Amino acid sequence: MTQFLQQLTNGLSIGSVYALMAVGYSLVYSIMNFSNFAHGGVIMLGAYFGFFGLTTFKLPFAAAFALATAGTALVAIVVERVAYKPLRDRKAPFLYFIISAMGASMFLENFVIATIGPNPKPYPPIIPREPIALGDLALGRLDLIMFIVSAACLTLLVLFIDRTRLGKAIQASAYNMKASALMGINTDSVVILVFALGGFLAGVAGVLYGMKYMVYPTIGAITLKSFIAAVFGGLGSLPGAVLGSVLLGVIETLVAGYLSSQYRDLIAFVILIGVLIVRPTGIMGKAVEDKA
Amino acid sequence: MNFRKAAFVVLAIALVLAGCGGKQKADTIKVGWFGALTGDQAVWGENEFNTVKMLFEEYNAKGGIEVGGKKYMLEAIGYDNKGDAQEAVNVTNRLVSQDKVVAILGPNASGNAIPIASTLEQAKVPDIATVATNPKVTVQDGKVKPYNFRVCFIDPYQGAVAAGYAFDKLGAKKAAVLYDVSDDYSQGLTEFFVKSFEGKGGKIVAKEGFTAGDKDFRAQLSKIKAAAPDVIFMPYFFTEVALSATQARELGITATFMGGDGWPSPDLFKLGGKAVEGGIFVNHLDYDQPTVQDYKARYKAKYGKETELNGYLVHDAVLMLVDGLQRAGKVDGEALAKAFESTDIQGITGRIKISPTTHNPEGKDAAIIKIVDGQYKFLENYAAQ
Amino acid sequence: MDSYILGILMLAGINLVAVLGLSLLTGFTGLFSFGHAGFMAIGAYVGAFLTVSPARDVPGLGLPLVVGILGGGAAAGIVSWLVGRITLNLKGDYFCIATLGFGEAIRLVFNNVQRFGGSRGWPLGATRNPQDIWVILLVDVVAILLVANLVRSRHGRNMIAIREEELAAQVTGINVFRYKMVSLVTSAVLAGVAGVLLGDYLTFINPKIFNLTKSTELIIIVIFGGLGSISGSVLGALLLTALPEVLRFFEIWRLVFYGAAVILIMISRPQGLLGGMELTPAGIRKILAERRARQALRAEAAREAEGGSR
Repeated sequence: MTQFLQQLTNGLSIGSVYALMAVGYSLVYSIMNFSNFAHGGVIMLGAYFGFFGLTTFKLPFAAAFALATAGTALVAIVVERVAYKPLRDRKAPFLYFIISAMGASMFLENFVIATIGPNPKPYPPIIPREPIALGDLALGRLDLIMFIVSAACLTLLVLFIDRTRLGKAIQASAYNMKASALMGINTDSVVILVFALGGFLAGVAGVLYGMKYMVYPTIGAITLKSFIAAVFGGLGSLPGAVLGSVLLGVIETLVAGYLSSQYRDLIAFVILIGVLIVRPTGIMGKAVEDKA
Repeated sequence: MNFRKAAFVVLAIALVLAGCGGKQKADTIKVGWFGALTGDQAVWGENEFNTVKMLFEEYNAKGGIEVGGKKYMLEAIGYDNKGDAQEAVNVTNRLVSQDKVVAILGPNASGNAIPIASTLEQAKVPDIATVATNPKVTVQDGKVKPYNFRVCFIDPYQGAVAAGYAFDKLGAKKAAVLYDVSDDYSQGLTEFFVKSFEGKGGKIVAKEGFTAGDKDFRAQLSKIKAAAPDVIFMPYFFTEVALSATQARELGITATFMGGDGWPSPDLFKLGGKAVEGGIFVNHLDYDQPTVQDYKARYKAKYGKETELNGYLVHDAVLMLVDGLQRAGKVDGEALAKAFESTDIQGITGRIKISPTTHNPEGKDAAIIKIVDGQYKFLENYAAQ
Repeated sequence: MDSYILGILMLAGINLVAVLGLSLLTGFTGLFSFGHAGFMAIGAYVGAFLTVSPARDVPGLGLPLVVGILGGGAAAGIVSWLVGRITLNLKGDYFCIATLGFGEAIRLVFNNVQRFGGSRGWPLGATRNPQDIWVILLVDVVAILLVANLVRSRHGRNMIAIREEELAAQVTGINVFRYKMVSLVTSAVLAGVAGVLLGDYLTFINPKIFNLTKSTELIIIVIFGGLGSISGSVLGALLLTALPEVLRFFEIWRLVFYGAAVILIMISRPQGLLGGMELTPAGIRKILAERRARQALRAEAAREAEGGSR
């Protein structure tokens, strides 16, 4: 029983890492209708910004955190301007966006390898690593924080989108970009806002990820999992992204713990396909048109 | 002369000049190197290529090396292959057919060293792999590959040493293994560790896998914890070692951690901290032995950071190359490969006596290293029985 | 010929086989797959099993390469049929993710199957044969003819209809699922054949060769060459197989430039090199005619503007 609870805790903790990354993905997806593969690269930069803020510039944590999230928001906007805007202007199909995003992700990752170097780096200790012991159960402090931060980010984001004028503009543009423009919404600004928000979330995810594990140029690879989680939960739906992430984390952990760690991803994939057969647009997704 | 003719003459001259520039200069020996300078293996590639360049500069500063009564300068031509098998073949082709190198140093990964054998044989250019420990790098289907050599010991030996040390010296009866399913090195070591440990009468109580890119191992570790092993064998690289060791200690696992030559790195302590304390691993050498101090200091002075394990081995690969060239007496791949077969030199990682039947260095002892107070402490040289 | 150049040409030829299949799937039918490296892996392993000599450490059946090519292609085709049965009803990104997951799952299986060396790989033991370039060329020609004929047939037009407007295609009575399946299986067979050829060229296979990067590389070639253009795929395979080698000049900055080049191509010429165009005599005539028409139109517009200002 203790072991089951421990595995459940492990799964929830991995799930909240995925969730932090998936929310940014899903936000961009909801308005642009394409999978922003550059998100992983931006998360990685966030981890590095935070790291250099803390070590090279010796900033207090709050300042380093602000620096990292502002930095990633900026990077996300730049990526949008350079790699996506020209495509938006031409109304290119989503395939091109995806390829452009892959190019951006490759660029960012290898830029860091070429300039900073490939060696992984540890974050300075900020929160004690010793887990809180509940009997035989080990509960990491950072796990708890990540869980809370994911939940908070999601809540704030949903409130922002539901309750503010800007949020309404995002909602309207997500529903129909062309009609929103006709209604007098500056959709270009909305897109920038969405990327800034996505970038901010990437910064949060990057710093927390760096604190929990470490910083290295290929962090972006892990976002593949959060992408899968976002699909699992239903693309474009923020609560779906979080739910999908938590479920994926728990499923992976339980499969590794009780069935086979060697075949973990295979079994998780079969479960994912099973869910998609029953619900072709994920657990909470909106319907999509198949159009390349 | 009209304009068109003039342009043609200029072009022709340029081509001839370019052609000359491409040919091997009489007094330079071109040596190829390849490995990962980008991608997740880049840490080791960078370290190897830096070492090769540094050593060549040092030889050249002393006037080069003498081969067959003539002085030659050494030139290193290095390419990145991202750690990718397909690019390994591409760059080997390029090194032998365009750069016309006489020998190739590296790669460090077995999965990159195996597919280049055919190219080497066709071009008659020998290769000295650095840390490629899969037996099949030099011997396949019971036959030695004529142009593949290496300066390191091989997986079966390393696995047997780790298992023997755990069972005989540490008195471990129950071992658990955590390994990277998608990595050839990790799977190889696991296979031979399990075989040796069970052969000695020990019991493998858990064998859990993860895949490349994973940074969270708590699901597997929780399972391992329930199996209560005496030692946990961790045959993978230092980044994952640091993370899995930290997570294991957080979960309250008290077993001794053991590993192989993927462990040693100046970064291990930075990343792993207290969690890797007391860990024991099999290494190619003792970092504190007097023979390596000079190289270590020169590297640090030139590049401003510590060398990794690969640097020591590529250092010895360079020694083996220079010795081979001098004994061959001419700059020729075929003669060089012949000379390599009778190599018997003192490298900084130990005596390198190449066996003509396996192209592996014979009887290279493994060093057992323990992590004590954030330092690598040499315990003993240990040979597997 | 120089073994380096020859090697790149062989790789380009091998890539082309897989790219042609993917071009049919993505460019003509509008389905986006991230899992084609998985089909290549199946082809490579089955092909190796059929062709590797029984005398090797890891033995095979020792049959000729032709059998390997046919068997590898067939195996990939059968698996793709099974995958298609389950996933072809998924739309857009959901289909993407299903293929992505499939590719990763196949790799995981080969990593764990010790019979074929697991992640340590399978040295096939043969010597690389430079003459195999002719085999590759022959396969290329067959693949081009196959895809070109398929595209020009009624089936091809139905596929394009599905790409353009799936719902409308369905309403007009096109069996959408069936054509998607034909497209998927054909592309998987070609990917499988490419896998066999790649194994034969490298003389070594391991699951890592067929990772997500390989799938992405293939898609990038298809998009770069131009969606819906076979000659674009040919040109794309040649140019993009050589590009990373040309960029060696930049050393560790190589992949930075490669990434930048991908973005640049997308934003400056999103239809790819030859999107919707073909370099056949008829295709060229069409391009030239369109160009003349555009010029005439522009000239007229200019005249009118002049007339207006006067």
